Amino acid sequence: MSKAINFFKGLAAKYQNLGFKAKKKIKFVIGRIALYYVLIELAFLFVLPFVYMLSTSCMSSDDYLDPTIQYIPSAIQWSNFTKAWEALNYPSAFFQTMFTSLASAVLQTVFCALAGYALGRYKTKWRNILFVLTILVLLIPPQTTILSAYGMFVKMKMINTVLPIVLPCLFGLGLRGALFVMIYMYFFQRIPDAMDDAARIDGAGPARVFFQIMLPLVRSAMIITFIFSFVWHWNDNNETTTYMYHSSVMTLQPRLQNISQYYSELLGLQDSVTAQDKALTEPMLFAGCMLVMIPVLIVYVIGQKKLVAGIERMGVIE
Amino acid sequence: MKNNKTVKAKKVLAQQANNYGVISFERKRNVEGLIFVIPWIIGFIWFVLVPLVLSVRISFFKTTLADLYGGSFIGFNNYMEVIKNPQYGEVIVNSFLNSLYQVPVVVGFSLFVAVLLKQKFPGRTIFRVIFFIPVILAGVIMTYLFQQDVGSVSVFSSLLSEATDNNMLAMIFGGGLSSQIGSIMWKSSVEILIFLAALQSVPDILYEVVELDGATAWESFWHITLPYISPFVILNAVYALVDSFVDSSNPVMGLMNSLTNGSNGEAYYGMASALSWMYMLMALITILVFVLLTRRWLK
Repeated sequence: MSKAINFFKGLAAKYQNLGFKAKKKIKFVIGRIALYYVLIELAFLFVLPFVYMLSTSCMSSDDYLDPTIQYIPSAIQWSNFTKAWEALNYPSAFFQTMFTSLASAVLQTVFCALAGYALGRYKTKWRNILFVLTILVLLIPPQTTILSAYGMFVKMKMINTVLPIVLPCLFGLGLRGALFVMIYMYFFQRIPDAMDDAARIDGAGPARVFFQIMLPLVRSAMIITFIFSFVWHWNDNNETTTYMYHSSVMTLQPRLQNISQYYSELLGLQDSVTAQDKALTEPMLFAGCMLVMIPVLIVYVIGQKKLVAGIERMGVIE
Repeated sequence: MKNNKTVKAKKVLAQQANNYGVISFERKRNVEGLIFVIPWIIGFIWFVLVPLVLSVRISFFKTTLADLYGGSFIGFNNYMEVIKNPQYGEVIVNSFLNSLYQVPVVVGFSLFVAVLLKQKFPGRTIFRVIFFIPVILAGVIMTYLFQQDVGSVSVFSSLLSEATDNNMLAMIFGGGLSSQIGSIMWKSSVEILIFLAALQSVPDILYEVVELDGATAWESFWHITLPYISPFVILNAVYALVDSFVDSSNPVMGLMNSLTNGSNGEAYYGMASALSWMYMLMALITILVFVLLTRRWLK
């Protein structure tokens, strides 16, 4: 015991004698080790369901039933993916989903910024009322209003088009639009007043101040709004099944929901209840899940790359 | 009489013209701000308020699925029934208590992870992807993962418990919280990304200045980072509150589902609507109180 204590005392003494640079380097290395340790420890929880999905999607039905095989399949079963591709009607559903999500994401990124700008930078009486309304919109689950909204869109002959999903985005609402308005509000609020005062004195109008001065200052907000909006619209099943149920316009998520039924009919199964039946369809099901999630993953990876420090100067340098 | 009014209006206008420069400028700004927010107000009335009024209407009627908008007017009877039933009160109180300890955990955890993920280190992209997985997997995929039954234990929940049992977090917290900590962490992806964006917009120059003054990373976190991103702590807390209130695993949501899907023999749409309105009102008040209380801290 005392030997160990002496050893550490010796280490501490050595550390004290080191130069400034060496000390900094040691600190850096220890910090890195701690960082990776904590991150890997936490990431474990997040990555497991994904690993489960990935490994199941590559399994043959024999592997799926084999209790000795947990995560690593004996061979990659590519046919799972080709079958899922056909079942999802992938190319057409992909473009339908892509169009819906992209249009909604772009519209929400721009039009939620308008509302957030008004809430964040114009300190007037109606501001507080609008803020309460924003929270209210955020609180109302879409299921509460979807029934009467559906009736409204039927009257406007918009069913089985993208309009019921995209049109609210044009007004800064849409899927969780209220959250984006709030994100923008807090980002705009933090910009010093001097920024737009200066621009106004130089003769810039309100539109110009907004587009040329303010929007570039909240690039981080724009990036995360776009990412969230895209991913949530891509993964949305509630709105798309209500408004776009015809097979010609169906998006990926509802198709994914019907996929196990498709397989059961294809394989001539009754109801996939037994473990045997499940083993036949489950790997293909998760292959379908992989196909659906990969585009979102790519969009996220590209999007978060843009999220780097120092893109907003915030008037500190000037 | 009418004449009198127009004279008055003219007087007011003249006075405003006299005060040109003070009132007029503020007025101009007000109008400007309104123009920016008008699309949102139109959208709110069109897509939220109108459907909402219909849903409120249901709560005052004795409605059945056969005629959702018909039925007889029964005033506040639906509301009274919800208030009288002690079971509902208990469920609502429980769900509020749930949020009370979930929100600080979500906000604290997401801030911690966001600070780590802001650093530049090899493999950062991979970790950023990993902590965003819950959002990417949401939707149908998630329900499939939850359905994975092996015997009687769902694979997903066993993954969660397995992960937390061998986790240092479980060692630290122990007991009751650790059984839920996995699912709470799983919910904080959105908050992590919001914090990450907020952290990225802290000007680098501030860090450089305090580093020259000899501040440690710990000190610069408390004196630069936290004050700078404090609005986003509020924002994330509000979002976490909303999230916990409307989460499908929330007992109140389950209660509403059981009222509408007819598992109690009949579908009580009116009562479900009344319950959801009272619940929503309480949630709104909670959030507003929270925002008002924290407003002082922001300035």
